Amino acid sequence: MLMNKNISGMNLLFNPKSVAIIGASEKTDKLGSHVMNSLIKGGYKGKIIPVNPFSETIMGLKAYRSIRDYGKQIDMVIVAVPAKLLSEVFRECADSGVKGVVLITAGFKEIEDSSGIELHNTIAEIANKAGISVIGPNTFGMINFHASLNASFTPEFSRVKKGTIALVSQSGGISHLFGFMAIRTNAGFSKIIGLGNRLNIDFAEMVEYLMDHDPDTKVLMLYMEGIDNPGRLMEIFKKHRGKKPVIVNKTGSSEKGDQASKSHTGSMAGRHEIYLGAFRQTGILAIDDTETLLDSARALAGCPKLEGNGVAILSGQAGPGMAACDICEAYGLKIVDFNNHTQERINENLPPLALRSNPVDMGPAWYDADASREIIKAVMEDDNVNAIMLLIMFASANVGVVNGISSLLLNWKQKKPLITCIFAPPGIWDNEMEHLEDSGALVNFPSPERAARAMASLWKYKNAIDK
Amino acid sequence: MKIIEKALKQGRNMLSEYESKQILSAYQIPVVNELLAESIEDLLMAVSKIGYPLVLKGCSPEIAHKTEKGLIRMDIRDEDEAKSAFDEIFSSMDGSGNAVLVQEMIKGKRELVAGMTRDPQFGPCVMFGLGGIFTEILKDISFRVAPLEKRDAMDMMHEIKSSRILEAVRGMEAADMDMMTQLLINTGRIGLENERIREIDINPVIISGSKPVVVDALIILE
Repeated sequence: MLMNKNISGMNLLFNPKSVAIIGASEKTDKLGSHVMNSLIKGGYKGKIIPVNPFSETIMGLKAYRSIRDYGKQIDMVIVAVPAKLLSEVFRECADSGVKGVVLITAGFKEIEDSSGIELHNTIAEIANKAGISVIGPNTFGMINFHASLNASFTPEFSRVKKGTIALVSQSGGISHLFGFMAIRTNAGFSKIIGLGNRLNIDFAEMVEYLMDHDPDTKVLMLYMEGIDNPGRLMEIFKKHRGKKPVIVNKTGSSEKGDQASKSHTGSMAGRHEIYLGAFRQTGILAIDDTETLLDSARALAGCPKLEGNGVAILSGQAGPGMAACDICEAYGLKIVDFNNHTQERINENLPPLALRSNPVDMGPAWYDADASREIIKAVMEDDNVNAIMLLIMFASANVGVVNGISSLLLNWKQKKPLITCIFAPPGIWDNEMEHLEDSGALVNFPSPERAARAMASLWKYKNAIDK
Repeated sequence: MKIIEKALKQGRNMLSEYESKQILSAYQIPVVNELLAESIEDLLMAVSKIGYPLVLKGCSPEIAHKTEKGLIRMDIRDEDEAKSAFDEIFSSMDGSGNAVLVQEMIKGKRELVAGMTRDPQFGPCVMFGLGGIFTEILKDISFRVAPLEKRDAMDMMHEIKSSRILEAVRGMEAADMDMMTQLLINTGRIGLENERIREIDINPVIISGSKPVVVDALIILE
C-alpha cells in the first residue's frame, strides 16, 4: 500500500497542470473518446495531451505516439487501453516521472483467470517503486469539481454543482447514481472518486488526504462494500474524529456469521455487524440507504452544527408537519415548547383555529407572507429552538409566500440549521429555492420525511462525535 | 495461561465451563460461586461451602450445550435432591470428562450475553446483547472492536433495542453500569492477550440485584 508520504502525488492527481490520455480516441466505442469529452466539455483549463500511436490529431488536439514522444513533464495520466498494454504503459510512466495515474482499464482481480492478479501485482510493484499514486484499476475515474477536472468516462458528471461534499466509492454504478441524484437535488460536490480495485489508493489513503489536504471538502460520503484492511481505516477515522463529518453506506448486511462456529457469538458475528460497531467506535455515521446518505451529506454540508435536540416545526399545512414530527421524535429529536414571548408573537399572527404551539400549523396564515414571516422570525429568536423545519406545499393562492420570506431567510443565513420541504410543481419556486440554497439560507428536500431524516442525521452526527 | 496450554496439549479446542470461568475470573469478571465435584464426597463438601438452593451441571470440555443434552438440574434444595441429581447427571455423561459443577443458584430475571469473536480482519471483537433464550431468537446484539474504551462499552449497551433492561424497571434495581462496562472491556482484553482463544460465549450474565454475575461460559480455542 502506498503511504501518504506521497501527498504530492495525490495533489498532482487532483490538480494537474497537464493531463495525458493514453488510449485517446475519436471513436465513440472507445472509452478514451468519452474521457476526452469529459476533459474538454468539463472545461479543464490545463494542457490536454491525447496519446494514440495511430492518430495525428484527436478532437482538434495534437496527438502523441507515447508520453515519451511528448517529451515534457506530465502531471497526471488517464489510462484507457486494454490490460495487455499496461505493463509497458506503467514502465513508461515511471520513466517519465509521472506521479499520478487514473487507471480506467478493467480486467484484473475481477476476472476468473489468475493472469489478472499477476498483472495487478506487476503494475502495483512498478507504481509503488516509482511513487505513482493510482486511482483504479477498474474505475470510471474521478472528478475534481474545484479544478473543473472531469477525469472520468462520463462527461455528464460535469453537470454536478461545485460544492463541499466528497464522494469516495467502491462502485462505479453507485457513483453514477449519486452524480445524477446530485444534479436533480442541487447537491454540490467537491470530488467524486471511484476507487475501483484500489491498486495503491484505498479508503484509508483517500480519507486521510481529504481530511488533511483538501480544504474544498467539508463532508466525506463513502460507499463501501468491503475492504482488506479495515483496521487501518479505523485508525484514520479515530485520528480525525470530529474534524469533518464522515458518513458511510456499507452494503453486505445479508452476509451471515460463521455458521460452523461452535459459539453463539461466532455464529452471530457477521462482518457487517462488526463494521457497524467499528463505525460507531470511530465517530462515523452509518446510513442504510443511498438516498438518505446523499440527503444527510447535503444537510451536513449545508447546515451549521446542530447544538441541541430542540426542533421547531413550522408547517404551511398540518399534514406535512405531522409527518416530520413523527420521524423527528423517532430519532430522539424533541419538538420543543416555545418560550412565552415566542408563543405570544405566534398567537398575534395566527387565529386560534389551528395548532399554534409546536408543531405550528400556519394554515390560517398560509397565503399571508407577512404573518408567515413574523412567525418564522419569532421562532428563530427562541433560545429553546436549536433548529427549524419549515414545510410549505404550493397552492396557487400562496405562490408569493417564498418571495415574501426569502429576504428574512437570506439575512438570517442559518444561525441555526434550517431544513425545509418547500415543494411545488416543476417550474414554480425552482429558481427561488435554488438561490436560497446556494446562498446557504436553507437545505431543501422533496418530502417532509426526507427533510426530517436529514435533520436526524445532524443530531446523530453530533452524538457520534460527542461521545 | 496454564489452563489454555493444558487444553491444547490434550488436543482440545474447547475449555470446560469450569475452566472457562476460571479464565474470566482471572480477568476480574464476576462469576458465579461454584466448585467441581467428581464424587459424592466432593458434592457434600461443595454443598457445605455454597449452600442451597443449588444448580448442578454436567461439566466436560466435550460438552458445549448442556441444556440440549439434559445435563442441568436447577433449584436443588436439599441433600437428597442433590445426591440424586448428581447420580443422574454423572451416569448420563457416558464417560466423557466426568465431573459435576456445583453452583450457587443466582436469582435475577434479567439475562444478558457478552462474548468475543476473533475476526480475521478486525481481530478480537466484543459482543453484547440480550441473553438466555432470547439471544438467538431476537438477535438484539451489538459489536465493538477491542480494545474497548469506556465510552464504547457504554455505547454498545445503549445501542441494543432492549437497552432499557439495564435501567430500574418493574421494581428491579438498575444494573451496575461500571461493572458492566468493566466486564465488556475485560472480555476484549482476554481476546487481545490470548491469541489462542478464538471465541468466548458468556451467556447468561444474570443481573442479580444490581450486579452482573456470569452463570455460564464457553471458551473455544484454536
